[in-house]
Amino acid sequence: MRQQIGALPLLALWALPLVAALAAAISSGIDPAAWFAIFAHPQLWPGLLLSLFTGFFSTALALLSALIIAAGFYRSALWNKLQGAAAAGMALPHLAFATGFGFLIMPSGFLTRLLVGGDQPPQWVTAQDPYGLSLLAALALKEIPFLFAMIWSQLTQGDMAASLDGQWRSARSLGHGAGSIWLRVIQPQILSRLLWPLVIVFSYGASVVDMALVIGPTQPPPLAVVVWHDLNDAQTAINARGLAGSIFLTMILVGVTVLAAFGTKLVSMLARGFLIAGPSSRSAPIILATVNFVIVVAAFVAVIVLLTVMSLVPRWPYPALWPSVFSFNAWGLLIASSSALWLSLGLGLVTSAVALGLVVLWYETQPPRYDRWLLGLAALSLALPQLLLASGQYRLLLGFGLTGGLPGLFVVHLAPVLAYVAVVLTKPYRSLDPRYIAVAASLSATPLRRWWAIKLPLLKAPLLTAAAVGFSVSVVQYVPAQLAAAGRYETLPMAAVTLSSGGNRALSAAFTMALAMPPLLAFLFAALAGRPRWR
Amino acid sequence: MALVLETVSVSLNGAVLIRPFSLSVAAGEVVTVMGPSGSGKSALLSLIAGDLTSPFTSSGGVRLDSEDISRLRPEQRRIGRLFQDDLLFPHLSVGENLLFGMPRGDRTKRLAAMEAALASAGLSGFSKRPPHTLSGGQRARAALMRTLVAEPRATLLDEPFNTLDAELRQSIRSFVFDHLKSRAIPCLMVTHDRADAPEGGRILKLRNGEVSDD
Amino acid sequence: MTMKLTRRGFTSLVAMLPVTASLANLAQADGAWSEIEAKAKGQTVYFNAWAGSEQINAYIAWAATELRNRHGLTLEHVKITDTAEVVRRVRDEVKSGKTDGSVDLVWINGENFRAMKQEGLLFGPFAEDLPNFALVDTDGKPTTRVDFAESTEGLESPWGMAQLTFFGDGAKLGTPPSSMLELLAFATANPGRVTYPAPPDFHGTTFVKQALIETMADRSLLGVSINRDQFTAAAAPMFSFLDALHPHLWREGKQFPPSQAQVKQSLADGELLMALTFNPNEPANLVASGELPATTIAWQHAAGTIGNTHFVAIPINSQAREAAQLTANFLLSPEAQARKADLKIWGDPTVLDMAKLDADQKALFTAQADPGSVTVPAPAIPEPHGSWVPLIEAAWLERYGA
Repeated sequence: MRQQIGALPLLALWALPLVAALAAAISSGIDPAAWFAIFAHPQLWPGLLLSLFTGFFSTALALLSALIIAAGFYRSALWNKLQGAAAAGMALPHLAFATGFGFLIMPSGFLTRLLVGGDQPPQWVTAQDPYGLSLLAALALKEIPFLFAMIWSQLTQGDMAASLDGQWRSARSLGHGAGSIWLRVIQPQILSRLLWPLVIVFSYGASVVDMALVIGPTQPPPLAVVVWHDLNDAQTAINARGLAGSIFLTMILVGVTVLAAFGTKLVSMLARGFLIAGPSSRSAPIILATVNFVIVVAAFVAVIVLLTVMSLVPRWPYPALWPSVFSFNAWGLLIASSSALWLSLGLGLVTSAVALGLVVLWYETQPPRYDRWLLGLAALSLALPQLLLASGQYRLLLGFGLTGGLPGLFVVHLAPVLAYVAVVLTKPYRSLDPRYIAVAASLSATPLRRWWAIKLPLLKAPLLTAAAVGFSVSVVQYVPAQLAAAGRYETLPMAAVTLSSGGNRALSAAFTMALAMPPLLAFLFAALAGRPRWR
Repeated sequence: MALVLETVSVSLNGAVLIRPFSLSVAAGEVVTVMGPSGSGKSALLSLIAGDLTSPFTSSGGVRLDSEDISRLRPEQRRIGRLFQDDLLFPHLSVGENLLFGMPRGDRTKRLAAMEAALASAGLSGFSKRPPHTLSGGQRARAALMRTLVAEPRATLLDEPFNTLDAELRQSIRSFVFDHLKSRAIPCLMVTHDRADAPEGGRILKLRNGEVSDD
Repeated sequence: MTMKLTRRGFTSLVAMLPVTASLANLAQADGAWSEIEAKAKGQTVYFNAWAGSEQINAYIAWAATELRNRHGLTLEHVKITDTAEVVRRVRDEVKSGKTDGSVDLVWINGENFRAMKQEGLLFGPFAEDLPNFALVDTDGKPTTRVDFAESTEGLESPWGMAQLTFFGDGAKLGTPPSSMLELLAFATANPGRVTYPAPPDFHGTTFVKQALIETMADRSLLGVSINRDQFTAAAAPMFSFLDALHPHLWREGKQFPPSQAQVKQSLADGELLMALTFNPNEPANLVASGELPATTIAWQHAAGTIGNTHFVAIPINSQAREAAQLTANFLLSPEAQARKADLKIWGDPTVLDMAKLDADQKALFTAQADPGSVTVPAPAIPEPHGSWVPLIEAAWLERYGA
């Protein structure tokens, strides 16, 4: 019983507020008129189809590409360097990527300037195409680093890595080539551990608003955008319709996720024959992996370069390949918002540290079988359209008089940070060989010392990665933060969104790049400090 | 078929770990290499298997009878290995582990061969079981059968009995040697325990980089 | 410098009542005002105002400095993206019984004002008691007292003027289209180079309203409440106009940009030939900031375009009502209005009546024609009755939304 108390801090600071916020949001969503209205909305079904299409296929493509890159470079000299590249890619905010990618592919964008030219841009349907293909591509590219990082850490850290090393050599001695071992031994084992990251990527892709507004289809837009417009309206009836829409979208997403889980089971059953078909000399897909890697890196480099240039030019009309006027105005305004920057950094550090503390306390006091409650709630909170959860959180904070204060800001930042930390950390933390601790205990180490001297160093890398992920999640929080701050505090994303609501692209570019900096530093720090000393 | 090493040597970061030596292991013979830890025993096996990686470097030739295999990739050499751990793939059942390494061919024949191999290891009825539900001795036997059904031309044993208790060790040891002998597969074993070696078998010592007869 | 203050305006039963109650207070005693001034000292006004423009933010920062120096009050600019979010915040706060509201002054008009007024979320009437309200051009600019056909009833104080204005690069345009019919011809001649934001984006809805006004047979219907059947009949010419226009628009009228900001950006990139705004001085601002070339021109349709006024209002749960009123009064002062109208500062047209100003006050307004200014101003047409807007938006969505 005493053990169970260790879950209390996590419940009090995270789970309870989250569940209460959900309940608050959903209870206000029980409004028959609103449900009737959303089902009468002409954009509901086409929008839903677009959301599911872009969410599902962007996830599938990102997974495929990340797996191919991993298959090609696993156990190669490049392998350890790839983590840094993935971290850099993860650090770039989604909106920044969409902005830069949009400028790359739109009809008046950089690629057409380079390849087509002429006085007027061609009338191609590239960005904002009606099928959401450009949104799908941007989402897929943006999620590759995250999924690759998840794969990388499975293969490189902890006991699984050591076990896979032996299995690899064993499989080679049984006559299997590197590609065959990847497909038949490595991939089946890591795929089962990618479930939660994939759920997050899918639900993010199917409910994303900011990226969709930049390069998504517009008539109809994805359902999340329809809902977002409604929730932002001044009229309560329209808000209620939006709430009903977001609950509906959430239910569909949960349903699709469950279906997809069954689908994977089915596929893995069908793939059984392939796994045991016998030795094959198939080699690692180095060329395919290199092509994939080059495309992803080229896209990110192009996006970052274009964003940098865009942040420095007030105007860059077609068909100029290089802008003629430069100005540091946008960066000047950014520097003028430094108080917002410090607040964001502070909140990021505090929330990621607290989140790490809370989940570690959970792991140390709760049996692993309870983890699925933690992970389920985490995934649900991440899968919900942000506005839905945020409105519930806001109602809750309002009830306790916590709006416009730092405690309220802390609570709403902690919610997604802890969820991500739990998703990223649970598997590596739980898969640490318990015998290490048993050995330490047999050497009369106290529990605290066992944790401090054994677990902490062994789990340094996943802990730091989780902290960096949490930090980067905290730094980009917008909707819930903006509600909780009630205009009394300004964080960096708030400054970015308000300033760029005027449509000034230089400002948007400068601020989204600024948003990328703190997470980038966090990931680099995690990668450097997390390197095990014994290797 | 015989496993032949011709003036092979191993260096670690440029420093010589094993000085050049030659060795021939005859079909069905088990040659034991003994040496303290860090002497390069495992590196020697990796050299033969073909997965020696930096910072190790090597020279010399590895042959199976007259075929030079030192340029072949590990999976092309058809040299079976057994490690300290059984290394059965956790996502495959015991039977599937055997099928994993069995040469391709007719499905029914492969399944029959798998069941027969399990039966010969006293593991009838275990084919659908996940590896982690087996005892240590059962897993060790399954791992050997997995190696054997892959039809290796030679085998390398890396302290294969280390994790087994004394009683089990004896039975597994004779189980392994009997099977290798009956199939006439040459075998090189490294260990630090003289008791692992088959009775009357050839024993080499690896000490200070020199390989010498016991 | 778009201003996303509202999406739609409404007229309610309340608005039809006589609204002269506050006129009785016109001659408010100086004593009362000086009492307000005394109370305002030391108060902090959280002014929630759209902050998507550095010019506007700088102007509010200037106002804050002046107010501190003159009246010893603190003006904090709460930078927001969408005024609807402030409406929801005040509503939620009032509902949960929070008396120390987070908003003391809000930049508002149209639908947001109507919502706050109808739900009793506003403090007042106060606006017409402000000393500087006497200078407002209530006759020449009737929208200073009627916000999207909703009577203000002194619950909001006018701040600036807005009117639908088009702009583009004069070097590429030739003669800009000065009516919807000319726009159709222009789009036909330049296929794929014209578009408008999809309603319910505020600018998109305004464009459709403008098309409605220009295609209607009987405009008298615009000022009154209508039902769906009346709408279907009255809007038929507008929809046949849009049906004719759309095939010539960007992406053949199958996709529409989600925001005015994107239309503006596409103009700057060269993908479109023209854009639209509700701030007549935005094109000149964009030229000044280097976002558009100096050859930019701005125009309004010759027969007039939709115009309105934007305001500031005080929520009912404000803890700094006195300082908020003082701020509203300062924003109406000739000095503040002239500075706001200055293109180099902001360029937002004044709500004041030049005839009511003395010579010194008039001299503050140094109007000049900068590149991108509207050269031939057209009359401002009042917003249609609010009942039109939901019908327009629903019908548009039904026809073109999916």
